[in-house]
Amino acid sequence: MKVALVGNQNSGKTTLFNYLTGMNAKIGNWPGVTIEKKSGIIKGTKHELIDLPGIYSLSPYSTEEDIAREFIFDENPEVIINIVDATSLERSLYLTTQLMELDTKLIVALNMADILEKKGIIIDEKKLEKELGVKVHKISALKETGIDELIKEIDKKKDIQRVNVLDNKIENEVKTIQCDLIDKHSKFIAIKLLEDDERFDKYQTKEIKDIAKKLEENYDTDLEEVIATQRYSFIEKVKENTVEKKPVKESFSDKLDKIFLNKWIAFPIFILIMFLVYYLSVGVVGSSTVDMVGSLIDSFSEFVQTELESIGTSEILTSLVVDGIVAGVGAVLGFVPQLIILFLCISLLETTGYMSRIALLLDKIFRKIGLSGKSLIPFIVGSGCSVPGIMGTRIIENQDEREMTTLLTPFIPCSAKLPIIALFSGYFFGENSGIVSASLYFFAIIVIILSALVLSKFVFKHTSNSFISELPEYKVPSVKYVAKDVFDKVIAFIKRAGSIILICSIVIWFLLSFSFKFEYGVDIKDSMLASIGKTISWVFYPILGENNWGATVSAIQGLVAKEQVVSSMSVISGLAEDVEEGSQIFGNGTLFGSFTAASAYAFMVFNLFSAPCFGAIGAMKRELGSLKKLLKAVSFQTFCAWILATIVYQVGSRIENGTLNIANILVILAILLAVITIIINSIKRKNKGCSNCPYCDSCK
Amino acid sequence: MNLAQLKIGQKAKIVSLDFDNKETRRHLLDMGLTRGTKVEIKKIAPMGDPVDLKLRDYELCIGKSDLNKIQVEVIK
Ligand SMILES: Nc1nc2c(ncn2[C@@H]2O[C@H](COP(=O)(O)OP(=O)(O)O)[C@@H](O)[C@H]2O)c(=O)[nH]1
Ligand SMILES: [Mg+2]
Repeated sequence: MKVALVGNQNSGKTTLFNYLTGMNAKIGNWPGVTIEKKSGIIKGTKHELIDLPGIYSLSPYSTEEDIAREFIFDENPEVIINIVDATSLERSLYLTTQLMELDTKLIVALNMADILEKKGIIIDEKKLEKELGVKVHKISALKETGIDELIKEIDKKKDIQRVNVLDNKIENEVKTIQCDLIDKHSKFIAIKLLEDDERFDKYQTKEIKDIAKKLEENYDTDLEEVIATQRYSFIEKVKENTVEKKPVKESFSDKLDKIFLNKWIAFPIFILIMFLVYYLSVGVVGSSTVDMVGSLIDSFSEFVQTELESIGTSEILTSLVVDGIVAGVGAVLGFVPQLIILFLCISLLETTGYMSRIALLLDKIFRKIGLSGKSLIPFIVGSGCSVPGIMGTRIIENQDEREMTTLLTPFIPCSAKLPIIALFSGYFFGENSGIVSASLYFFAIIVIILSALVLSKFVFKHTSNSFISELPEYKVPSVKYVAKDVFDKVIAFIKRAGSIILICSIVIWFLLSFSFKFEYGVDIKDSMLASIGKTISWVFYPILGENNWGATVSAIQGLVAKEQVVSSMSVISGLAEDVEEGSQIFGNGTLFGSFTAASAYAFMVFNLFSAPCFGAIGAMKRELGSLKKLLKAVSFQTFCAWILATIVYQVGSRIENGTLNIANILVILAILLAVITIIINSIKRKNKGCSNCPYCDSCK
Repeated sequence: MNLAQLKIGQKAKIVSLDFDNKETRRHLLDMGLTRGTKVEIKKIAPMGDPVDLKLRDYELCIGKSDLNKIQVEVIK
């Protein structure tokens, strides 16, 4: 049987899902939309459980909510478990009153039972069951209580008689309309038709519209509002009969918000927290772990080499394993500890509830550049991986803001770009590597702000929109939940290293070891890869100051996965040098020996901002909806990357060789200042509206 | 009187939702801002916008641009 978990955001669906499916949880791939719908088998049964995104109502407001509604209607689950957050019963039961009108078996799981007492709330669940006409089970997904009885309920055939929620006048008309409907969920559809919901237009008739109009005369407002109000009146009555609430002192969340949302210290705290995340994952702590693992991998590579040689493996095969596979995969695996820290930080920000505060904190600023405060969530998640970041844009209701956020999220250095940053800044900037890698994050932020300004001015041109969002209470994160979250993400990364990266490394090794005449062991300059790279390396000339085919082919491989850039460079330089095994990528005389600090920084900038990996491009496609928009977005990104990298190199290399004197700097600054003033002025004009300038038509 | 004019700690009753945008109005109704509902201004974001309301035993943040379309009646 198919069992769907339906409930508000943060009601505990995923917690229950993970408990019920255990480690057997498989990530289901549905056509079109993926990953956000998770499916697994409930332990000890044959039932399939589906975890859906949170919804507040069956008339969805954001794309994310649409997925849940579509699932219920199109995939027809046999049972719906409605998870209700018992600590905010009133709002949660609103969705329940709608689910009660569907023709699907419904079970209410009253979650968070463990904290009810502390909040001074007592709920009579048997009475609630009667008042709703739906089976109710009190559970705690976190403390794992009451869940067995809930699961047993799935198999029970008998369902109890549901109660009518709306007043008699409306319920009677609903019955009349229902008679002519043959589809499943006829009661729900009938109500939607009275509300004149356009999603159900295919059932709409003139007779129904007349009924609605006549019905409306009984009330002083439209039926949509009448029905919503009646649902809440029903809930208020139910609550009165079943819930006892003792007054409690100021809640823990309110106390914390006095600090985290304080007028004066909220921003310093935010910056401190972000710095801490950075310091732990990318900065000093993170990079020291990389050195440790790096030396481990080096000794492993040596060990494999000697072992293979001692058992008499041929030279070609040894090279394939050591220079191809171990070098390529190892270059990426070295970053696993750093990723664990990063994923851990993001997971903590999400589960404690601080992420919602960040959106609240920055909404006003983000609005100025045409984004929403909620855009920050995809950005922060995107520092782990762009794919979930991009999918997270669904929480943004406004389409323009959502598309802009989708386009800008890949600009945030994701964890796969970390290896590139770590490698280049570590080697070329020595002691300053920490500052340099930090500077790239600031660079990314500035580019995002400027791009957002330009895009909202010239491309999207939308009027500012609503911010409506629940403010969840702070929660102590569950160790199990966070551990599983981090574990899943790290495993996914390692799997990629073991699959895509491994295959690419073999292909690269092959293209490097053979010439077009299929001779093995040719000078690397005559290899197939070199020939391919040389034909297009001119694209990178302005960025690197030379035609470097190795860097060219490596950057292009960033499309497969950004960490592949490092793998590729490692394979290329490892093969070029047969004296010292596995030595520095940038050693003297290697292909990359000619990199300087300026070209290194420029190369990082290019890889940071250019088209993301195919995974992220796929996610962008899903969110943007059309191929045309996708092509535009990816070209925009790559164009930005190329221009920025070129500027960095052209300025940087002049600083390096001392030709950039004060006069030049001043002229450049003056031009930059002029450009920025023009942009800011035009934005101001847009915000102020028309000021009777002569360009009125083009302005609007 | 609209909701944007209230200060922290003030309580009010919803009188009407004056929205041109049907979707937003629908969403606010779904979130429980029906006529007669009691709301309290709980917190205000450091930059003055959005504002956090307490209603129906939970907290909802709404931007100023929407708050001033929600007419209310202050209760003492
Ligand atoms: N105290 C308590 N917290 C819970 C319970 N179930 C879930 N949570 C917490 O509520 C938050 C949201 O849970 P999650 O499963 O992500 O909710 P979802 O958005 O519905 O998937 C997490 O911080 C959970 O740890 C419960 O029964 N008791
Ligand atoms: Mg969830």
